[in-house]
Amino acid sequence: MNIEFTSEHTAFREAVREWLAAHVPSKRLPSFDTQEGFDLHREWERTLAKDKWGNVNWPEEYGGRGLDLTHWLIFEEEYYRADAPLRVSQNGIFLLAPTIMEYGTDAQKARFLPPMASGAEIWAQAWSEPGAGSDMAAIRTKAVRDGEHYVVTGQKTWSSRAVFADWCFALVRTEEGSERHKGLSKLLIPLDSPGLTRRPIAQLDGDPGFAELFFDEVRVPAENLLGPEHGGWGVAMATAGFERGLLLRSPARFQAAAARLVNLWREHKDRLSSGVSEQVLQAWMNTERFCAATYQLVSRVQAGASVSSEASANKLFWSEMDRHLHRTAMTIMGAKAELEEGLDAIDNGRWLDGYMFSLAGPIYAGTNEIQRNILAERVLGLPRK
Amino acid sequence: MDFRFTENQQDLIDAAKAFFIGENTAERMRKIAAGETVDNLWPQFAELGLLGLMAPESAGGLEQPLVVMAGVAEAAGYAGLPEPCLEIAGVSVPHANEEELSGQITRAMRSELRPHIDSSLADSGEVVMSIDPLRKLVKADSGNDQNIDSINHHGAVLSAAQLVGLSQRMVDMSVEYAKDRHQFGKPIGSFQAIKHHLATVYTQIEFTRPMVHLAAIKGGRAVHTAKVAAIDTAMMAAETAIQVHGGMGYTFEVDLHLFMKRAWSLCGEWGDRNYHMKKLEELVLEGDEPLGPGTTFS
Ligand SMILES: Cc1cc2nc3c(=O)[nH]c(=O)nc-3n(C[C@H](O)[C@H](O)[C@H](O)COP(=O)(O)OP(=O)(O)OC[C@H]3O[C@@H](n4cnc5c(N)ncnc54)[C@H](O)[C@@H]3O)c2cc1C
Repeated sequence: MNIEFTSEHTAFREAVREWLAAHVPSKRLPSFDTQEGFDLHREWERTLAKDKWGNVNWPEEYGGRGLDLTHWLIFEEEYYRADAPLRVSQNGIFLLAPTIMEYGTDAQKARFLPPMASGAEIWAQAWSEPGAGSDMAAIRTKAVRDGEHYVVTGQKTWSSRAVFADWCFALVRTEEGSERHKGLSKLLIPLDSPGLTRRPIAQLDGDPGFAELFFDEVRVPAENLLGPEHGGWGVAMATAGFERGLLLRSPARFQAAAARLVNLWREHKDRLSSGVSEQVLQAWMNTERFCAATYQLVSRVQAGASVSSEASANKLFWSEMDRHLHRTAMTIMGAKAELEEGLDAIDNGRWLDGYMFSLAGPIYAGTNEIQRNILAERVLGLPRK
Repeated sequence: MDFRFTENQQDLIDAAKAFFIGENTAERMRKIAAGETVDNLWPQFAELGLLGLMAPESAGGLEQPLVVMAGVAEAAGYAGLPEPCLEIAGVSVPHANEEELSGQITRAMRSELRPHIDSSLADSGEVVMSIDPLRKLVKADSGNDQNIDSINHHGAVLSAAQLVGLSQRMVDMSVEYAKDRHQFGKPIGSFQAIKHHLATVYTQIEFTRPMVHLAAIKGGRAVHTAKVAAIDTAMMAAETAIQVHGGMGYTFEVDLHLFMKRAWSLCGEWGDRNYHMKKLEELVLEGDEPLGPGTTFS
């Protein structure tokens, strides 16, 4: 075991830090769940991409720096330390991109990865349906092959930022009469396709962060099939692994929040009951544990291990840690916790925003109940029935 | 940066685990609890190199770092090993040159009660019984006030590592029991409530083990976090395990209690939860430790 950063790591960290200091917008951008905020976040993706900081662990030919995951972790640490904007391209770069790298053809890689890296094309995930949430194998949206196209009909929902995004990666039923996990495929679909209607859904905070997508005989070129036809479940599970496992939530984001929580506690400690300090420390300790575990996971992955069902433990831990951390902030703020903005609102309502979003963590990327089922059955080996 | 055991280190740990589990069977533990004599494992500890694991090569040791000892300690916890082999190999041996080692150990343990790490103490001190039937405590005086940071570091890390092993063992025992025991015509392990309880503990273990490894290598605040996490995880593992076992779990007959009671006692050893939380209050809340991204490893 060796936990030393090399001098090259340290130089890399300094270079990231320096660049961020010169480029991170001094004012926090408006939420990317609004048109204005989305556009500004896209602009930020362009800025990142121009100097090749958007995806340091991607191969150089697709806009990355060809660095390993340890560098990515260091990048993330500096990124959240600098309080840089959230990544509006996250569903593309963290979920779809690794899937394309694993399953895509060379042509697909060349077509989709560079504009994803540059912020020119922002992606939404279109898996959930009104009748297929936790039970994703109940997907009914169908795609019928017609010559060089698939013709897609059906409905998707809860698609994050699909109101503003350019493309979606959808899971649809390509094999007529197929059931459950069989007969599904993954299709890459432009969101401005004729026959595709997007209806915004206001989220908890009132912003249109989700969309419902209605597909009425939408024609999708057959070359946009990602991975094997009718083999979409396996492809989707790989994506879900990235989502639950490593990429979507690196420790840095939570560690930055924990450091801010300690400061919040310091500012308010005189009026707090004694139990609150325990909660603050608990939140901070959780982020330390998450960081230690992530570095260990990255070491294993870099040595060739693959992450499968264990990824579920990761998702459980970060989502419950995040909710606890933000609830502790709500406790500290007391009577001011309800304020969203204005002079009286602590930190301009950031904690309240964070608390609301933390409530979604145990739901998206597969609910925590589903993650516990997966761990119990596939890792611990308890009987399904 | 390669935060994994090397192949050699992993082999050492695996060999120790196989040995501990093979020798320290439940039957052996029950015999000890009943006051019967059992095989003396000390010659084998020595033969396998466990006692000299951290000793310098010049002294015939393997000169392994504390984190490897932590891997062995996790294995010992898993096996419920009653002998204080870890404490000797991981605390006493590496500090063998310190003066008044015995008093310092007592102080580092933050309790005047300690397992008989060396036989001289066992002979001289007043013996106190623990709820753990395999544990004899002796009362020792606290010695003088010397720098005990390193002893404390080793002791806390190795007790945390044993707690991780004990937690894992209690989960594994519960999984086996839940597959076997039927109610309502099905294995109880097919009930979602049981699954979710165990998945929760599994997750806590997965996020404690790497913290213990970090604490072994880095010391400092990581040690306090690791010990608190290990305590909370072990208490949760024990409470969950007894719940999954139902009435059987509440008996002296089923092995679970041997591991549960060991966990209780290790929670209070080498700094209890209060001690480590107070340290964190000083360091993290009131001190000037750097916090936030990039401060955990650097
Ligand atoms: C903020 C946010 C962003 C999202 N973004 C996207 C996106 O971009 N693209 C996308 O496709 N989807 C997205 N989703 C949808 C998300 O994946 C689903 O909400 C989730 O899979 C749960 O499905 P559901 O909402 O239908 O809940 P349900 O499946 O109806 O679940 C309701 C409750 O029942 C429980 N439950 C269901 N089945 C079981 C079971 N077998 N055992 C135990 N409990 C069970 C669940 O755990 C949950 O507590 C997003 C959701 C949120 C909140």
